[in-house]
Amino acid sequence: MKAILIVHNIASDLVTSVWTPIFVGLFIAIVIYALWPRNQAVFDQASRMPLRED
Amino acid sequence: MQRESHMQQTQSTKWMTHGEAGLMLFFAMAAFVCAFAAAKALDAPFAFHASLAAVASGVASFAIMNRYLDRPASLPPEEISGKPNYNLGPIKFASFMAMFWGIAGFAVGLLIASQLAWPLLNLDLPWTSFGRLRPLHTSAVIFAFGGNVLIATSFYVVQRTCRTRLVGDLAPWFVVLGYNFFIVIAGTGYLLGVTQSKEYAEPEWYADLWLTIVWVVYLVVFVMTLVKRKEPHIFVANWFYLAFIVTIAVLHLGNNLALPVSLLGSKSYIAWAGVQDAMFQWWYGHNAVGFFLTAGFLAIMYYFIPKRAERPVYSYRLSIIHFWSLIFLYIWAGPHHLHYTALPDWTQTLGMTFSVMLWMPSWGGMINGLMTLSGAWDKLRTDPVLRMLVVSVAFYGMSTFEGPLMSIKVVNSLSHYTDWTIGHVHSGALGWVGFVSFGALYCLVPWLWGRKELYSLKLVNWHFWISTIGIVLYISAMWVSGILQGLMWRAYTSLGFLEYSFIETVEAMHPFYVIRAAGGALFLIGALIMAYNLWMTVRASEADVGTELALQAAE
Repeated sequence: MKAILIVHNIASDLVTSVWTPIFVGLFIAIVIYALWPRNQAVFDQASRMPLRED
Repeated sequence: MQRESHMQQTQSTKWMTHGEAGLMLFFAMAAFVCAFAAAKALDAPFAFHASLAAVASGVASFAIMNRYLDRPASLPPEEISGKPNYNLGPIKFASFMAMFWGIAGFAVGLLIASQLAWPLLNLDLPWTSFGRLRPLHTSAVIFAFGGNVLIATSFYVVQRTCRTRLVGDLAPWFVVLGYNFFIVIAGTGYLLGVTQSKEYAEPEWYADLWLTIVWVVYLVVFVMTLVKRKEPHIFVANWFYLAFIVTIAVLHLGNNLALPVSLLGSKSYIAWAGVQDAMFQWWYGHNAVGFFLTAGFLAIMYYFIPKRAERPVYSYRLSIIHFWSLIFLYIWAGPHHLHYTALPDWTQTLGMTFSVMLWMPSWGGMINGLMTLSGAWDKLRTDPVLRMLVVSVAFYGMSTFEGPLMSIKVVNSLSHYTDWTIGHVHSGALGWVGFVSFGALYCLVPWLWGRKELYSLKLVNWHFWISTIGIVLYISAMWVSGILQGLMWRAYTSLGFLEYSFIETVEAMHPFYVIRAAGGALFLIGALIMAYNLWMTVRASEADVGTELALQAAE
């Protein structure tokens, strides 16, 4: 029982401490994607999507 | 030639789809099960709700059969002469229901505001007491009015920006009708005293289960429409809608894990206890604000403001960063509802910190919405619908500044449990959610019914000004009342006794409650003008009917 608790604690500590860098990394990646100059053309088109009529 | 006629022949053989047959069977069985539950029910409200469900299931089963008998052999085509054949029926229904519930919710709001000013209006009856009518008001405006606006606009925007017809034949109807049936069960339940006493999550276990089914179908319809899109890029509004649908599903499941006392009774007990329950409740409660009242309506902002202003989204890059920072931050802000409680101190500080950080994406979004008008600012003078949409974004900016401020512990020690909170909520609810919804409905109704314009822009102008004055009266009354209340509660005499008894602070609120009720009355009058305007728009003469209606007749 004690061993299970220790394993559980280590696992939960690991998971809790791993989330923060993962989320921060993910968010930075999204910001880079959004600001990447090559994507500008796609975004310019996308910003006009509501205006297109069919 | 031969093959073609053969194909026509196979098409003209009429068959029920799996969905039609399955749903018909399901509802027929549900009608029997519910009738049985009604007969065996342990309490009267449960018997009433089971009877309602039995009748509704029976009607649904017949309606599906009737619809099948009336429809042509083949289902509506995906495209008509190269153009997507958009499915507008369920959207029209949800728009109508939004207006209906809006007026009902505002009217009940006015009634309970008047009850606070003149307690006699409680009528000394259990069904009309403030305690039962208050959740009726909040659910009617948030879930019934706001929810129908969100379902209507999301079904419209996802089709338009994906250039494809909504997935499913019966599924979209199941979503709009099923959702409104949930509202009826929830609302009548409150009046009969059925509640699990969780703010904004009052409906009991059976209503929650039903909503879960409806919501999963909503998610499937939305996602599968995205999957079969003709546009390579998923427009940002759809991201906001998707975040709204997914997160509400998670919140709903987390906060409603309850065990019914009996399968034949309305009462249940929640799985969580004590401070865990409180934390779950406000994780749910604040994210209902964040993902229902914010993310969903931001989706409306990102589609309807560019469309109405005929300008592209100001910065698409900003919209991406806006979306992801909002998603990453909002989910942590809930603990600010539990400052100075048994919740661990670090959790409170965490909630406060994330709430303050939320100011940035909120204002990023506001700037993006407002700046979309660059080059078209003059339209604010001539187009009251656009003005309504833009003022809603301004209110969004104001209440998302006030929110982080109030989440700071020191400020919260003054503001919490006072009317300041009510004022804050209503600057967001009336100013932001209300106005952006009105603006969207003013756009949507002429588009759906194929009218060139609204019946009267002049009436929109009247609606705008009457409601704006109503909001200003409402929120300024609550600010003054709330701060007064907070200061009176914490006032001590020189001997260290409380200076005011509680009843003295209640008495001091009276004039502000009267002003608030007057503000609410103006807001309701505005909505009535709107309903008349929309009704007349739909009834407009055939001469004004544009091409869209002709396309519809073809389906």
